[in-house]
Amino acid sequence: MIATAIHRAALAALCLAAPPATAFSETSDADQRREAILALTPDAEYGAYLSSECTACHAEEGGDIPLIHGQDREALIDALLGYKTGTRSHDVMETIAGRLGDEEIAALAAYFSEVN
Amino acid sequence: MRFNRRGFIGAASAGIGLLAAPMVRAQGVANVVVIGGGAGGATAARYIAKDGGDRVRVTLIEPSRAYYTCFFSNLYLGGLREFDSLGHSYGTLASMGVNVVHDWAVGVDRDAKTVSLAGGASLPYDRLVISPGIDFKEGAIPGWDLSAQNAMPHAYRAGSQTELLKAQVMAMREGGTFAIIAPPNPYRCPPGPYERVSMVAHTLREINPTAKILIVDPKESYSKQALFEDGWQAHYPGMIERIGPDFGANIVSVDPAAMTIDIDGQVEQVDVCNVIPAQMAGRIVHEAGLTEGDWAPVNPADMSSRVDPNVFILGDAANQGDMPKSAFAANSQAKVCANAVLGALTGSRVFPARYSNTCWSLIDTEDGVKVGATYEPTEEKIASVDSFVSEQGESPEVRAETYRESLGWYDAITEDMFG
Repeated sequence: MIATAIHRAALAALCLAAPPATAFSETSDADQRREAILALTPDAEYGAYLSSECTACHAEEGGDIPLIHGQDREALIDALLGYKTGTRSHDVMETIAGRLGDEEIAALAAYFSEVN
Repeated sequence: MRFNRRGFIGAASAGIGLLAAPMVRAQGVANVVVIGGGAGGATAARYIAKDGGDRVRVTLIEPSRAYYTCFFSNLYLGGLREFDSLGHSYGTLASMGVNVVHDWAVGVDRDAKTVSLAGGASLPYDRLVISPGIDFKEGAIPGWDLSAQNAMPHAYRAGSQTELLKAQVMAMREGGTFAIIAPPNPYRCPPGPYERVSMVAHTLREINPTAKILIVDPKESYSKQALFEDGWQAHYPGMIERIGPDFGANIVSVDPAAMTIDIDGQVEQVDVCNVIPAQMAGRIVHEAGLTEGDWAPVNPADMSSRVDPNVFILGDAANQGDMPKSAFAANSQAKVCANAVLGALTGSRVFPARYSNTCWSLIDTEDGVKVGATYEPTEEKIASVDSFVSEQGESPEVRAETYRESLGWYDAITEDMFG
């Protein structure tokens, strides 16, 4: 919950920095997308399979690459959507998230929020 | 406590199509044999054992008791990493139920579905995974063979060769010449020879600043070339010279006794000579009759051999399309293979293949660069769908962050391979 709150604050700050009209529509689109993903029933087996692409770089205990195991589900969704839509920037993550659809994001977020 | 994926099977949504109707074995335990305990083989063994539970018996055949990663071994040459930090044991894999056999696989009988070992044993398999890495093509560099590897090390399979090359660099006479003969395409780790040049330069700048580095390269161009050339000019000015095929670097022979390189008739006397010969799939894949030319063709959807659907070939040995021969790629392919093997043997769900790769290289302390891509299978090959490469002129902060990222990747992928 704390992570989500922090992320929301960061997202709000980001919106303030962008031109107001664009920020309004992007935020609105992003919120709708996020709600649509949250409404899906995550496919746990698919999430476990997809997670193996992530664990090539993300260690169980974190380290020099951010920890994703055991993180808040909504924060994970926001992060993946951010890389996919370009509000977050990272060359590796943009190519990885670029080919994730809503079902994949829902499955991955559910998987990593439930592993320790 | 770990997430128990079995508890969620009933919640699976219908959105993901099954690729093929699985063939379920009614009773009994299926045998999977994995040859080679590197990035492809160790990962495949671990995932098949982890997800197959008591329905699959996994045997991993790997001659080495400790595996030294070829990736990051250049950082040891650069004095930025201890040799021991490259070593990994198979103890955790054994603890999770993988039967680790330290022996050489010397033959595959694909009709009887058995693997024979140098020690005399014969192992039956239902599915066989082969991930043997590379061997060197005989006669690729006239004058060089494995009997010359002490005078002119390849250091392209990590271990004693890597330590030998480091010792030779450290002992090189003041102002001497370190030569590296780069391989033709395709070969393991496309940026590897050039990261090696960077790391040897890093060491020589400290201990032997008047030394020279000579790259003898049969290729017109190479991976991350502009990034390496910018870095060499900035960090090691005047130290590194490259001779390409336009000056005869594709017509090269060596004399290990005299420590000379003949480049299309011009003879260079050198002090250390790192010969990285032309490469082919590890010998066992040829023995098994699974190759066309130097490499083993595979089906892009699941890494199964195009010659035998009961055999999967991973990593450097496979001819699959656009993915580079890298540890990252082998690890990525292993997970697709594991999913397909378990689907065939246990009836578990088979998902569409997803492949990805990133290769980090270090040019100088905290000057890291990277190249990467995502891939998908087509009928013909594994095809690149999206890619990126570090830009020229990035800030030191970005380069340092890229280096730190590579450290994180090393920790993660070795955990993903060995547990």
